[in-house]
Amino acid sequence: MTAIERAASPSRLTGAAALFSSLLAMARKEFTIMTRYPVEFVASFGQVFALVAIFTLAGLTFADASGEGGNFGGVVIYGFILFMFLSDTLWTIGYNIRREQKQGTLEALYLSPASKFASLVSRVSNNLIWTSLLSLAGVGLMTALVGKLPFANPALGLYLLGLSLSGTFGIGFAFAAITLRVKETGETLANVLQFVLLILCANFFPFAALPAGLRAISRVIPLAYGVDAFRSTLMGYPEGFPELASIGVEIVIVTVFGLLMPLIGYWAYRVAEDHERRSGGLSEY
Amino acid sequence: MIAEASLGSKLSIVLATARMRMLNVSRYKGQLFVEILIPIVFAAMPILLGRATGGAAAEANFLRNTGTANYPAFMLIGSSTFIIVTFAFWLVGYWIRFEQETGTLEAIYLTPTSRVWNAAGIALYSAIRSMISGSVAYLIGSLIFGVNPLQGQLLLALAFILVGLVPLFGMTLLFGALVMKVKEANSLVNLMQWTVSLLMGVFFPVAVFPPLMRLLALAFPPTWMVNGVRSALLGVGYFFGEWYLDLAVLWGFLLIAPLLGFWVFSGMERNIRRREGVGEY
Repeated sequence: MTAIERAASPSRLTGAAALFSSLLAMARKEFTIMTRYPVEFVASFGQVFALVAIFTLAGLTFADASGEGGNFGGVVIYGFILFMFLSDTLWTIGYNIRREQKQGTLEALYLSPASKFASLVSRVSNNLIWTSLLSLAGVGLMTALVGKLPFANPALGLYLLGLSLSGTFGIGFAFAAITLRVKETGETLANVLQFVLLILCANFFPFAALPAGLRAISRVIPLAYGVDAFRSTLMGYPEGFPELASIGVEIVIVTVFGLLMPLIGYWAYRVAEDHERRSGGLSEY
Repeated sequence: MIAEASLGSKLSIVLATARMRMLNVSRYKGQLFVEILIPIVFAAMPILLGRATGGAAAEANFLRNTGTANYPAFMLIGSSTFIIVTFAFWLVGYWIRFEQETGTLEAIYLTPTSRVWNAAGIALYSAIRSMISGSVAYLIGSLIFGVNPLQGQLLLALAFILVGLVPLFGMTLLFGALVMKVKEANSLVNLMQWTVSLLMGVFFPVAVFPPLMRLLALAFPPTWMVNGVRSALLGVGYFFGEWYLDLAVLWGFLLIAPLLGFWVFSGMERNIRRREGVGEY
């Protein structure tokens, strides 16, 4: 059997092993690109330090004479962690697709028999590890600034984080679909969406601070339940938390969101991709 | 022999560069909208955090910690100044990178003029764009959070901003030199905008810093700019007690920072042209 025949054998082109192998190769390519920009590694740590310090010091300006600021440490840092993952996912998948378009490699990718799903997931796999490290650094810094943070129910917290992340992956896939359709406007849309979600999902403050009208909108966004459930669980359900629904209801919503959203997002991506392929717009940008 | 360009022709470069960039950005209306949205959303987070965690005592606690009970205005001033400072870094610091990416940098180097006039044009463009975005965001934010935007000494606040802009742009030339050398402009600008926000006390007074960090913050023109505006509008207190003393410090920065920035930028530019060439990125 020649090398070409071996490479084109069905077992290497389809099935779980092929999917895993292409995912690994694509993730490795993304990792190689990342390592070419060492300043970015240092800069992202610096950014997290500055952001956490800014919001911690801002929160402390409302502290009473004894320096007591209520639950704000837990509210800010646990919301911040989810915000970092959301921001990464929203930006990275769509941005990477745009990058492939600009570099002229997107069509070449589509000519290969590799899995498109693996191609999408590989865009965020490295970031996921990196953002996890940044989150740990953020928690460490926050602890240094305001003292020990509440850390209850870690297993349930991890479950909620995992499913919320899975849901944000789905949002990222759907957003990549939008980017394929709207092209350059995708960057502006990502910015707007990020800010809108930042307010409506109340990542840096409790939902109680939102006006009633905005809180009603928050109640129809599954990710908002992810933020509320995750931080309330890790804070050990202090009085008034969770704010949007009982924890049981929130766990169900987050679970459904985490399981369904990636499927919906990927479906939306395939529809947009199909449209672009038919209209010949895949390489246009 | 080539005659030295007149001041009029140098100024025309400044105006033409600013006009070209204004024309360019006017094509991106969505981006202009986001620029107004950013300071409002950015200020909304600490405001809502304060309202929720401070409860009924939020204003009293804030007054004791900062010198004013008007925390929405305090945060809005911080975030509006943030957009001015951020723009300066993005537009001036990123300028060389922008020209590199669009493939026009080497063409600019072939023109018989100093790059400093191009940089001045970018600074003018940045100042106009950020002042408009910052002011509109402050006005809309004031309406949303129920703050009177016309309180305090508005002209004095404007003086702090205008005087502070010159040393700020001088600093961005220093930063532009670093970007030219390291090349990873996006990462550096991202890092710089948050570090600058932290140092200038975007949502808190710099008095909360430990002594060494406070000293570092005070060596930084935007810190004097934002505190000057807050003192003029909200009466939080000048660093030296009187407005003219704080403004004099900013004038000192105004004399030193642009010269230092120009000197470092020119040196770095010469160095890079001799070694690898400015067109590489």
